Amino acid sequence: MRKSTILLSSLLLVGSLLLTACSNNSNTNNAAATDNSATVTAAADGATGSAASSSPAPVPAGALSEPYTATDLSKLPAVAQNRTDTIIVGLTDPSGAFTPYFQESGYDGNVSSLLYASLVTVDEKGVPAPELAESWDVSEDQLTYTFHLHKDLKFSDGSPLTADDVAFTWTIQYDKAYDGGSSLPTLNVKGGQAYKEGKATTIEGIKVIDPQTISVTLEKPNATALVVLGSNVLSKAYYGKDYKFGQLEYIKKLHEKPLGDGPYKLEKFIPGQEVRLVANENYFKGKPKTEHFIYKTSEGDVWQFLETGEVDYASFSATDENIEKLKALGYVNILPYTPSTYGYMQVNLKHEQLKDKLVRQALMYGLDRQSIYVDATQGAGAIANIPASPISWAYTEEGINPYKYDPEKAKQLLDEAGWAVGANGIREKDGKPFSIHYLGSKSKNTDIFIAVAKENFAALGIDFQPEVFADFNSLVSKVEGGDYDLVSFSTSMLTDPADGFMQFFDGEITDYENPKFLELYNKALATSDIEERKAVYKELYQLFNDELPILFTSYKKTVYAYNGRIQNLSVSPFIGLAGSLPEWTLK
Amino acid sequence: MSTYLTKRLLYMLVILFAASLLIFCLYALTPGDFITGNIKLTAERKAELREIYGLNKPVLERYGLWMKDAFHGNFGYSLAQQKPVLQLFSDYIWNSFLLAAVSTFLTWVIAVIVGVISAYKQYSWFDTLVMVAIFAAMSLPSFFIGLFLIKILAVDLKWLPPGGMITTGSNATGLAYLKEVVRHMTLPVVVMVLLGLGSLTRYFRSNMIDVLQQDYIRTARAKGLKERKVLFTHALRNALLPAITLVGFELPALFGGSLIIEQIFNWPGIGQLYMKSFGLRDYPLLMGFTMFIAILTVIGTLLSDILYRVADPRVRL
Amino acid sequence: MAADSKLTKLQRPQAKLQKSSLFRQSLRKLMHNKLAVSGFGVVVFMFVLCFIGPFFSPYTDNKINMAMMNKAPNLTHWLGTDALGRDILTRVMQAGRISLTVGLASMVLSVLLGALLGAIAGYYRGLADQIIMRVADLLMTIPGLPLLFIFGALLSEWKIPTDYRMYIVMLMLSIVNWPGLARMVRGQMLSLREREFMQAAVVLGLRDRRKLFGHLLPNIVPLLIVMATLNIGGAILSESVLSFFGLGVMPPTPTWGNMIDAANNMIDFQDHPWLWIPPGLSIFATVIAINIFGDGLRDVLDPKQKR
Repeated sequence: MRKSTILLSSLLLVGSLLLTACSNNSNTNNAAATDNSATVTAAADGATGSAASSSPAPVPAGALSEPYTATDLSKLPAVAQNRTDTIIVGLTDPSGAFTPYFQESGYDGNVSSLLYASLVTVDEKGVPAPELAESWDVSEDQLTYTFHLHKDLKFSDGSPLTADDVAFTWTIQYDKAYDGGSSLPTLNVKGGQAYKEGKATTIEGIKVIDPQTISVTLEKPNATALVVLGSNVLSKAYYGKDYKFGQLEYIKKLHEKPLGDGPYKLEKFIPGQEVRLVANENYFKGKPKTEHFIYKTSEGDVWQFLETGEVDYASFSATDENIEKLKALGYVNILPYTPSTYGYMQVNLKHEQLKDKLVRQALMYGLDRQSIYVDATQGAGAIANIPASPISWAYTEEGINPYKYDPEKAKQLLDEAGWAVGANGIREKDGKPFSIHYLGSKSKNTDIFIAVAKENFAALGIDFQPEVFADFNSLVSKVEGGDYDLVSFSTSMLTDPADGFMQFFDGEITDYENPKFLELYNKALATSDIEERKAVYKELYQLFNDELPILFTSYKKTVYAYNGRIQNLSVSPFIGLAGSLPEWTLK
Repeated sequence: MSTYLTKRLLYMLVILFAASLLIFCLYALTPGDFITGNIKLTAERKAELREIYGLNKPVLERYGLWMKDAFHGNFGYSLAQQKPVLQLFSDYIWNSFLLAAVSTFLTWVIAVIVGVISAYKQYSWFDTLVMVAIFAAMSLPSFFIGLFLIKILAVDLKWLPPGGMITTGSNATGLAYLKEVVRHMTLPVVVMVLLGLGSLTRYFRSNMIDVLQQDYIRTARAKGLKERKVLFTHALRNALLPAITLVGFELPALFGGSLIIEQIFNWPGIGQLYMKSFGLRDYPLLMGFTMFIAILTVIGTLLSDILYRVADPRVRL
Repeated sequence: MAADSKLTKLQRPQAKLQKSSLFRQSLRKLMHNKLAVSGFGVVVFMFVLCFIGPFFSPYTDNKINMAMMNKAPNLTHWLGTDALGRDILTRVMQAGRISLTVGLASMVLSVLLGALLGAIAGYYRGLADQIIMRVADLLMTIPGLPLLFIFGALLSEWKIPTDYRMYIVMLMLSIVNWPGLARMVRGQMLSLREREFMQAAVVLGLRDRRKLFGHLLPNIVPLLIVMATLNIGGAILSESVLSFFGLGVMPPTPTWGNMIDAANNMIDFQDHPWLWIPPGLSIFATVIAINIFGDGLRDVLDPKQKR
């Protein structure tokens, strides 16, 4: 009996853990600290997703559009005051697998993004920019990429970084035992498949030209190749010492002893508690300005850690109330931030009722998205209408239908589609009642959605059957089983606009067949010219906005609050704080 | 007794074997596997990975493989953490054990003392007060007590740290390290004691009241024994008897970790690790940990049966 | 020992008579225990409030009202409103219906099952004991979490309406959770059956059923009451756990557990006390009251105290 009570009560908070856990799988590199849980709509909600305001006169939504500077640094808690050469940032759950390409958790990715530099990085718009590679050439046919490395690059132990290391890094991802989540194998490097099958001892398409130059040839053009190829570099001397084809087990032993080339190197990893980093004097841009950097493992609510000065930096949902509360602390700077993701509802296109475009449009008109995603979250969200984040270079509102809440229009569309109101107020067609089976992840935002959607759908004459899952794996299994009409998801971080369509290619959505979509999608990938691509994406977005193969829901809005003593801090939606961290100083 | 023990030990092995099969199947039956949650992968890549991890084999074959490795002392690598399962145990279990051991010890000591006194003074104001206070502590959700104490003692008064096991970035060793850990574990231990105290105190009080009405207590008093002696030698032994079955049950709890407490106080324990692994379907870690707890449960059960006999010779096993 | 244990078959009709007066006696004794009576009063009050209260509320439709989000208690909303502008008082009362029903039902179920199996094992010993206790041993090694998810998946697969799911899950949980209590009851049984009054019962040639229900079970009733009242709080909270896993009540239907769960982070905890105080206080008051009442009941029903 005692056991059962303990069991049940201990399960109480379990769900929130599951939600955070489910995101671990999804992000590999470059994730933004503390906010990389972007797979499910629910995931990013966590502790910060509370939508609430106690202020008598509500501040208009999106109250913070500009960075806010701390007003009274003297309020800073003594603990934080006493740190002179150390910055502490909370991170949900680094597990200790710090080797890029071989880690399963996005949080480990946060750590390794500080331990390893990339050949190519992206700027604040998501456009590729040089890092370890000072330049690159792309052949006329978009198939061959040649990278020119900086001279005198070094790993943190002082050993040189050359094109051989890059070749090694690419090669082992084609090993048949490689089980990581890198998307490099999907690029189809020439000869990669032969290597994987053991028919060749090297990969034909990878050529080391000189110690500073390396080229790689693909079988098919792909506009995302530059960023994927241009990721972290592993030392061949260190990680390749024991490498034999088909055997990668040994790398696991090196996870906690990473050898990188990034701004910081690992000092100490204390499981479940801290990842201590120390500045790397061999970093190619020069040693970072702050000697120590610590990722403190902190699950869920970080508010009390910020309030007591135990962490210097934390992210919160951008509710008016959170912002007010943070401003009242006095000693934090606040940075508004929109993650590079979008939320959507996957539609079961196998179901007859949802195959009809008119019905999908009716659902968009009939859902009060303004209430669900903006008003109820107190400004911590915005409405999405296209498969791109508002910060993407391809984002556009031209020719895009905003689907403003219009129940009358929705009813009209449903009538047009042949769904007439039946006896008990539920619409019917061919004797079948209109019922929507919705799946969502357990979170406050889902609760809000269900409460509002239930009213909205009832007004349209649609029977609404929500089902909530605390466990992401169970939810996905249910979706794979096909027993649903609508299911809420959020994309993981989108770097290239093409990523916004990923779910149509990675096997999740298999039933949307539209030759025009495929044609445009490939057209956009066949060129690297940004202006050219922009035009194609505009056309694609307009197509999707009208066709609605998925129902677009919302964008998240967050704020970063950080110790007012930290200078030069900026957060990139694509590479998180890794980009500006070497410049951070403590005033 | 020794034939009984041999028989019980044999039973234990059979039960553990049955349990391992049952548990393995349970995890395998839980919707989704390690690959499912990663919705960024293509269907082909998913199939490839399932092949690499052996997840496409039939459940019984996977169980056989796991069992074979386990007999050789190999519990495999955690899929999500990329570390040997046994290393993860040693990384996290002792932190959980520390919290559980200290709080269990305190809970028992306080519960016995308070239980005995309030039984002895049944219906006195002390008794009533204790009862109401205990019920109050029992009827609050643990996260509530946790947040409340953090707010008052850590955030407002700044007497104790709000969470974690050591001060972030601290390099303390020896006595200073010990002091740091003690400071950090105070709040979680207080909450755990508060939560566990209620049922145990009530349990002791109830047993003690029963025992105090037995004939032998009257006899002892009639003999003119000192009240203290009657209470602590004669009555307590008998009152503790039913509770002794609980001792065995505490064993798995000592190593199992406490999820809510670990989460609220940011304690690096095994409870959180188990939950995360469950969310990810990290089978080797789940299997290893659950079997570890199963073994402790079985041992604990045996232990409590034996203790029971030691405490009450009348009971025939 | 206890007066009624000396009854023989011949005196049976009288025994019945005596029992009814015994009941009256117990009731009178219970009425004397003011604390227990007030505990009972609170429980009754909570039931009345939750089952009848909502009829007097103008907000029973739980309409969403964005203009009234997160308002502190005021004249129109006595206990304030939640994040969707719904009246907290109404929701607390509606939630109570579910939480109270579920809490009581699940407690009764596990106690019955545990007591019965434990008593059988402890009394008959031998093969029955072996089977029951070995099954218990096995069950105790099984982790609850995957079980919950498998239940969830099955119920979802079978398309059981979400409103009923929770009760089925409760039933399943009791089936899984009986071993702890069964062991404890068995332990008591093993000890009791060696006592003098049971030897007397054997000498008198009483039938098993009589020995079990007439003499042994009354002696473990106090233990059962303690265990039952101890667990009722857990049962009420367990409802929120089930909701959490999508096995219980689906939103927007409120329960105390999921209402209180809405404030389990520092920000809501500090800034919106009216979100968690009403459901928290309801659980708190109900559980205390049930415990105090159970405590009084235990004193009255304990056969050893009838002298």
